[in-house]
Amino acid sequence: MLKHESIETNTGLLIVLVLVAIGIGGLVEIVPLFYIDGTVEEVKTADGKDAIRPYTPLELRGRDIYIREGCYVCHSQMIRPFRDEALRYGHYSLAAESQYDHPFQWGSMRRGPDLARVGKKYSNGWHVKHLTRPRSVVPTSVMPNYPWLIKNDLSYGDVKERMLALKKVGVPYSLTQVEFDANVKKFGKEVAEKLDISKADENLMAQAKSMNTDGDANRITEMEALVAYLQVLGTMVDFKQHDEHDFIKFR
Amino acid sequence: MVHSAVGSNEQYNYDIVKKFAIAALIWGVAGMTTGVWIASELTWPFLNFDIANITFGRLRPVHTSGVIFGFGGNALFATSYYVVQRTCQTRLWGGNFFPNFTFWGWNIAILVAGIGYTFGITQGREYAEPEWYVDLAIAVVWVAYFLIFTMTIMRRNQPHIYVANWFYMAFILATALLHIFNNLAMPVSLTGAKSYSLFAGAQDAMTQWWYGHNAVGFFLTAAFLGMMYYFVPKQAGRPVYSYRLSIVHFWALSFMYMWVGTHHLHWTAIPDWTSSLAAAFSILLLMPSWGGMINGIMTLSGAWDKLRTDPIMMFMITALSFYGMSTFEGPMMALKSVNALSHYTDWTVGHVHSGALGWVAMITFGSFYHMIPRLWNTKIYSVGLIKIHFFLATIGTLLYITSMWVSGIGQGMQLREFDEFGNLANTFISTVEFMHYPLMARAIGGMFFVSGILLMVYNVYMTVRGAKQEDQATATAISQA
Amino acid sequence: MAEKDPITGAETTGHVWDDTLQEFNNPLPRWWLWAFYGTIIFALIYWTIYPSWPIGKSYLKGIGNTITYKTDAGEEVTTHWNTRALLQYEMQNGEAAVAQKAELKKIDAASYEEIAKDADMQAFVQSFGKGIFGDYCAACHRTGGVGVIGSYPNLTDDAWLWGGEATDIENTIKNGHIGNMPAHKGVLSETEITELGNYVLSLSKEPSDAALARKGKALFEGKGSCFACHTKKATGMKALGSANLTDQIWTIADVKGQKSAEAELTAVKSVISNGVKRQMPAWKSRLDETQIKVLVAYIRSLSSK
Ligand code: HEC
Ligand code: HEC
Ligand code: HEC
Ligand code: HEM
Ligand code: HEM
Ligand SMILES: [Ca+2]
Ligand SMILES: [Ca+2]
Ligand SMILES: [Cu+2]
Repeated sequence: MLKHESIETNTGLLIVLVLVAIGIGGLVEIVPLFYIDGTVEEVKTADGKDAIRPYTPLELRGRDIYIREGCYVCHSQMIRPFRDEALRYGHYSLAAESQYDHPFQWGSMRRGPDLARVGKKYSNGWHVKHLTRPRSVVPTSVMPNYPWLIKNDLSYGDVKERMLALKKVGVPYSLTQVEFDANVKKFGKEVAEKLDISKADENLMAQAKSMNTDGDANRITEMEALVAYLQVLGTMVDFKQHDEHDFIKFR
Repeated sequence: MVHSAVGSNEQYNYDIVKKFAIAALIWGVAGMTTGVWIASELTWPFLNFDIANITFGRLRPVHTSGVIFGFGGNALFATSYYVVQRTCQTRLWGGNFFPNFTFWGWNIAILVAGIGYTFGITQGREYAEPEWYVDLAIAVVWVAYFLIFTMTIMRRNQPHIYVANWFYMAFILATALLHIFNNLAMPVSLTGAKSYSLFAGAQDAMTQWWYGHNAVGFFLTAAFLGMMYYFVPKQAGRPVYSYRLSIVHFWALSFMYMWVGTHHLHWTAIPDWTSSLAAAFSILLLMPSWGGMINGIMTLSGAWDKLRTDPIMMFMITALSFYGMSTFEGPMMALKSVNALSHYTDWTVGHVHSGALGWVAMITFGSFYHMIPRLWNTKIYSVGLIKIHFFLATIGTLLYITSMWVSGIGQGMQLREFDEFGNLANTFISTVEFMHYPLMARAIGGMFFVSGILLMVYNVYMTVRGAKQEDQATATAISQA
Repeated sequence: MAEKDPITGAETTGHVWDDTLQEFNNPLPRWWLWAFYGTIIFALIYWTIYPSWPIGKSYLKGIGNTITYKTDAGEEVTTHWNTRALLQYEMQNGEAAVAQKAELKKIDAASYEEIAKDADMQAFVQSFGKGIFGDYCAACHRTGGVGVIGSYPNLTDDAWLWGGEATDIENTIKNGHIGNMPAHKGVLSETEITELGNYVLSLSKEPSDAALARKGKALFEGKGSCFACHTKKATGMKALGSANLTDQIWTIADVKGQKSAEAELTAVKSVISNGVKRQMPAWKSRLDETQIKVLVAYIRSLSSK
């Protein structure tokens, strides 16, 4: 105990030793996640492409709105490997499925159901009704109404800048021909087109038009973006094509 | 020995402490009222009023930031500046400018962040919601805080650094480290609010909960232990129970806290090895946490009678008991099997508030009731009101956490229940219906707690007003003499 | 430096801060220390059993705690403890899973008639239906399947847009449907729509103007080309999911909910003017054949047939 005397009487030493003490945990737990094989699973489609793709411009804007509204405080996006969750929500979430999520939205509370596989579970029309007035479809829901989503025009003037920012943190949106070609190889032509930053606006408008959730084809609303995002959640991996063993081996 | 107000103000910078203390109370009222509001929104959803700015999703972070960084943060600035000066017997470093810079910097940053949330400006990371520009401002303020604190310690008139200051120091350093790494992000443009985090998916989750847990570990625990180590022995008039225990539990906490973040990610897509490290380190944290509780409670040995007569002491000891309880509950919830049930449910929220209301808020109330009369060199306006406050706070906390046990454990059990055919026995929405009354009880618990802090504000206001009148009377007396 | 405390006689460290702050030099409480050692032993065991410390590009996998499960090909795989293998094991061997699988197997082998007659299988269908229908379908069709007029069909009545035979319902759930009736606003005049409205109401013996209804009938079977979907008898076509307009059961126009004859007319006219576009999602990628079969049995049990 005597030695502690020297720490207690020396500010510099106290600071250094505290830094050492608090530094180790993070180093040992975080750093290996970037290099240990299999932390993020490799998931391929039948024709050998990457199953998980980055979001299209419209889905991306929808995700921004999801974050803006704070849906994550009530909804998780992380199905755990339990039987009840498998029956209720579907296959457990893979790390790969959120590999392009900056930030991740796994959540920590389920005030409402998990949304990791809500994509295609309901119709666009249902989402519009539900988001506008949840209690109109689920009478005992405690979810707030979001009537402004369908009233607000989507602002997408800066969608390219948003994609560029994401590109800088590692999301494979393409800018140059070389990057585009790489994406064709990685995701296939159809997907690569959607990840082309230079075509972001057209892609966004085309997807919004194809959804047309508000009945007015000339308007693009925040609702369409958010619903586009919800409808893609958890739909990228076709689990019927995989043996469970394919995923267990990564753990 | 006894310092007069004038003398103390020369020896110590009390102005800055007063400012932070008042700010803490203001944030406390605002943050906890918001807590009652969002609790009510979950019971009576019409309270969202279809106003975007106050919907649950946007208001919840206003509550968490308001109470943790507004109430808790200001209370820590106030007490750390008070404690470091008094235990080093020196004036706060940095003249008037630096301490004031931390005051305005911190409070404006939280205010800007909080208003931002109501407009949907958020990074979507729990407890780190402020966007990049606020994060930068906070980092600058924090460097100033570190300098002030360190330089004051360096100028101490005491060979030894008092244990409270070790804890404050660990809190300042850890917060800096966590804040910087967890907020690494790429702004969409330098003139816009939006940014995207540097990491994604599993790595992002790990970084976030490494931060998130230690927002708990260092911000809501280590730092408040610093507070405890000064105010409990001061109020009891007794020596700290064990110096050796202080040393062991300080270093154990500092080292081990940083490992347990993954207990927020059990059973997720994060690799299992991180999860086992966190679970075991959480169990390892139990005794070091209790070290603080023991040191606090046992400090009363030789003065147990105070527990009956002194409401400030009641606050402090109750706080330590809740601290002991939540640091027992926490490690249990960190076990994978328990967490499988508790995660995603109100059990977590109840655990949070047995720490937040029972420990963080109550130790702050006790310390403030001790400190505030001394800052203004007067007596508290009403001891009776402190007693009432104590009972309101205790009832509120108990109502809060018991209702959350019912709702959380109830929901957890229902969701995983299978009937005799092996089918799901309950739907999700039926659990939402089940939680209606427990959630209502929680909101009522919150109302008790808020009425308590409102009484405190009144008590403090009357105390300060009384002090100012006394000052004036003395001044007139002197000028007439 | 050490001093003694006058009250307890215990030794302090001799340091004093802020006039009165002192510390006892008490040893660590025995029970505390032993409990701490206990937790250390716990941690060491825990780390031995479960995957734990990272080493290079891998990590300690844990010993003495393996899990064995079968692959789809039936091959047995034994692996270190991990959450995913644990689920797979649970799904293959867990009590609830096995019980459910046995029941599903029975259902799989039985015909719908057999399921309907067998009390045990019916009990299973009800139990399965309650949970799955509640979590997957009730968001639209409401608990118990009563639906919402105008939005989601009632599954407990005996009217079926897409057919009420087991195979029809099976097809509906598997592939989903788009309920689609074009808007006639702009195509037909307001008067014509009023006439059609009266005709449609008359089909269900609701109050209507006979003269207008007669004109409506002509339009229905002629220029309006309603018959193309609803047939000349207006009984609907299951291939198109077009409603039977003669059964007094309303799925889109909330006629029964109206208080006056005018309001009824308005409700029907609104459907003719605006058309219908609504979607039933496809479930075949989320639910397997047998699960859908149970749902079909469940839905059939909801209606009187
Ligand atoms: C106050 C908590 C709360 C907030 C905030 C909230 N929800 Fe919900 N959500 C619920 C509850 C409770 C349910 C279950 C009842 C229901 O379906 O409405 C639900 C259900 C849902 C469902 C249906 C899930 C399913 O599988 O049945 C979707 C989709 C959804 N919410 C999306 C959102 C989005 C998007 C946001 C943000 C814009 C949001 N929610 C905000 C509480 C919330
Ligand atoms: C997004 C909302 C939605 C969900 C979820 C949904 N349905 Fe439907 N369902 C509909 C709509 C809309 C229709 C009517 C389609 C039409 O208009 O032709 C329908 C029609 C049906 C029909 C045909 C009714 C008829 O009269 O022919 C059946 C059977 C049915 N649903 C069963 C189910 C089952 C079983 C589930 C759950 C596994 C389910 N539905 C989930 C919206 C939904
Ligand atoms: C292209 C096919 C099509 C044509 C043409 C069509 N309908 Fe329909 N109609 C439908 C379908 C399909 C539905 C059921 C929609 C649903 O349930 O989703 C329907 C529903 C209705 C209903 C609502 C019944 C109820 O139970 O509420 C009325 C009324 C109706 N049609 C009248 C008409 C009249 C009058 C015309 C001619 C002017 C017409 N329809 C032309 C396909 C058609
Ligand atoms: C040894 C001490 C503690 C341990 C091991 C511990 C452990 C845990 C665990 C396992 C969870 C649940 C995580 C989840 O399932 O999502 C949790 C949540 C939480 N705990 Fe503790 N806890 C401890 C003490 C405290 C204290 C004293 C506080 C003080 C306020 C506190 C505040 C919180 C908060 C705020 C959360 C919620 C985090 C979130 O999901 O947003 N904990 N803790
Ligand atoms: C009057 C007192 C309070 C009330 C009524 C209250 C109410 C609430 C409510 C309703 C929530 C949201 C929980 C949910 O999603 O269902 C919440 C979350 C939270 N509150 Fe409070 N609160 C109060 C005081 C405090 C204090 C004093 C603190 C901290 C010092 C605090 C810290 C938190 C934290 C950290 C969370 C997030 C919990 C999580 O994510 O798991 N609260 N509070
Ligand atoms: Ca949380
Ligand atoms: Ca931030
Ligand atoms: Cu934690």
